[in-house]
Amino acid sequence: MEPLLSVRDLTVTFGSFTAVDRVSFDLHEGQTLAVVGESGSGKSVTALSIMRLVELGTRGKIENGEILFRQPDGEVIDLVQQREDDMREIRGNAISMIFQEPLTSLNPVYSVGDQVAEAVMLHQGLAKAEAAERVLEMFRLVRIPEPEKRMVQYPHEMSGGMRQRVMIAMALSCDPKVLIADEPTTALDVTIQAQILGLMRDLREQTGAAVLIITHDMGVVAEVADDVVVMNRAKVVEHGPAVDIFENPSEPYTQALLASVPRLGSMQGRSEPAPFELVEYDS
Amino acid sequence: MSAGTPLVEVRDLCKHFPVGAGATVHAVENVSLQVGRGETLAVVGESGCGKSTLAHTMIRLHEPTSGQVVLDGVDISGLGNRALREHRAKMQIIFQDPFASLDPRRPVGRAVAEPLLIHKIAKGPDADEQVADLFTRVGLEPDMMRQFPHQFSGGQRQRVCIARALATRPELVIADEAVSALDVSIQAQVINLMMELQSELGLSYLFISHDLAVVERMSHRVAVMYLGQIVEIGPRSAIFENPEHSYTQRLLDAVPIADPRARRDRPLLTDEIPSPVWAAGTSPERVELREVAPGHLVAAEG
Repeated sequence: MEPLLSVRDLTVTFGSFTAVDRVSFDLHEGQTLAVVGESGSGKSVTALSIMRLVELGTRGKIENGEILFRQPDGEVIDLVQQREDDMREIRGNAISMIFQEPLTSLNPVYSVGDQVAEAVMLHQGLAKAEAAERVLEMFRLVRIPEPEKRMVQYPHEMSGGMRQRVMIAMALSCDPKVLIADEPTTALDVTIQAQILGLMRDLREQTGAAVLIITHDMGVVAEVADDVVVMNRAKVVEHGPAVDIFENPSEPYTQALLASVPRLGSMQGRSEPAPFELVEYDS
Repeated sequence: MSAGTPLVEVRDLCKHFPVGAGATVHAVENVSLQVGRGETLAVVGESGCGKSTLAHTMIRLHEPTSGQVVLDGVDISGLGNRALREHRAKMQIIFQDPFASLDPRRPVGRAVAEPLLIHKIAKGPDADEQVADLFTRVGLEPDMMRQFPHQFSGGQRQRVCIARALATRPELVIADEAVSALDVSIQAQVINLMMELQSELGLSYLFISHDLAVVERMSHRVAVMYLGQIVEIGPRSAIFENPEHSYTQRLLDAVPIADPRARRDRPLLTDEIPSPVWAAGTSPERVELREVAPGHLVAAEG
């Protein structure tokens, strides 16, 4: 089957610095693909390039490569070649994105319901009353308790977990084909993270949207991803099914990365603390 | 582990913050704990549970509302500034963000020398020599003392902060989410360094963290905090292998496991932690701990 999104030989630079170097991967319908790496590996820049946000406000430049996206009508377009006006139609509509910090992604002076309604009014052309109905439906979908009451609240009145649910509701409100989640649970407590990851898994089954999750956390990858792209220093070092990457990492970098991941339960039966058995990785 | 008297004994420590209209945040509520010599006690819990406030109140970065902190047999909760300063040399703290904890305009060697000068441990060339030793001890080149924070990576900066914390030859080092901001490969290196230093120098750590997998690696004992109170405390294996309190169990269940084959279906919960703000004249119910196994204490649940 044709991929929904195909990133081919993507190279992104900031001045003389290459942040993403000939990165390629495919994302298929219903798939959850994790792009994992440490700070500066280029994972977020890859995500921002797909949304064509990397050129806005920064000196980022897509030097080379294609980002092929199969539109709902079946036509395949190269996102790199789209004009800003056309991208504005695609962003938040066919491809949407959620970020790490839901508080900075929400406007503090509008109610959360109004902000989600704005997205569907703008992209789907719904009237105000219809939009309000849609918001309610979305809040129920992301399991916000008492959605009628929550709709009229402002971001500061909500917890971090509830705010991230609002962001997910907004991102899914226009039935996107692709949801890009950039460190969606990094700012959340572990119990809330478990709730949001469970929700994301559930929603994929209900909506069929493909998910591209960007994270530094191998635990999160293991929880949600079907397939994994491991990035280091702007390059893809390994790419494959999650189970294979965790059980038989073939690249030295992936082996070193996995050796330094603390795993709950790994200390069972030992009374004293123990250092990590690190794998030397020579970059 | 903790032969003889513990290094630190905290008794019924409370820290309340007024938040207007007579309401009070009970950030730390009747906390009692001990840290043995050469031992790591981890304090875990979610944002707002009071774990950082507990650490800061123990070393009097916050003044306690009530309760005692006994360090090496001396109650430091009521000491005046001058006497407190002497005792502060014995307890040092490392924070989460090593960039915010270092002055960007001064060479990092100065940051490490400062506690030596303040506590009159060394000065002049003698201080320089000690700084060089400290740099070597934490795995940095002594030449690096002349460089500035922006020339260091996050992991190196945290090593500088550890060197600074060790300068006064402390007995207790508080690590307040000290490895949380680091990349996972750097985090593992810094944790290994902290464990090495512990066995070389006999340090005690109070390790404040939200990351249970890290805590399982490096602690001897664990305290679980919820809404300002300890709900469970005990040896690491007891907390991780036989958690008794429902909150400890929930916390452990939520930790993602770095193994796709161990993926679990969890109930889709939406509940949230209640507020620690109490109106004037009201206060939280005191949690009573009972011992379920030697050294393993659990709060009764209603």
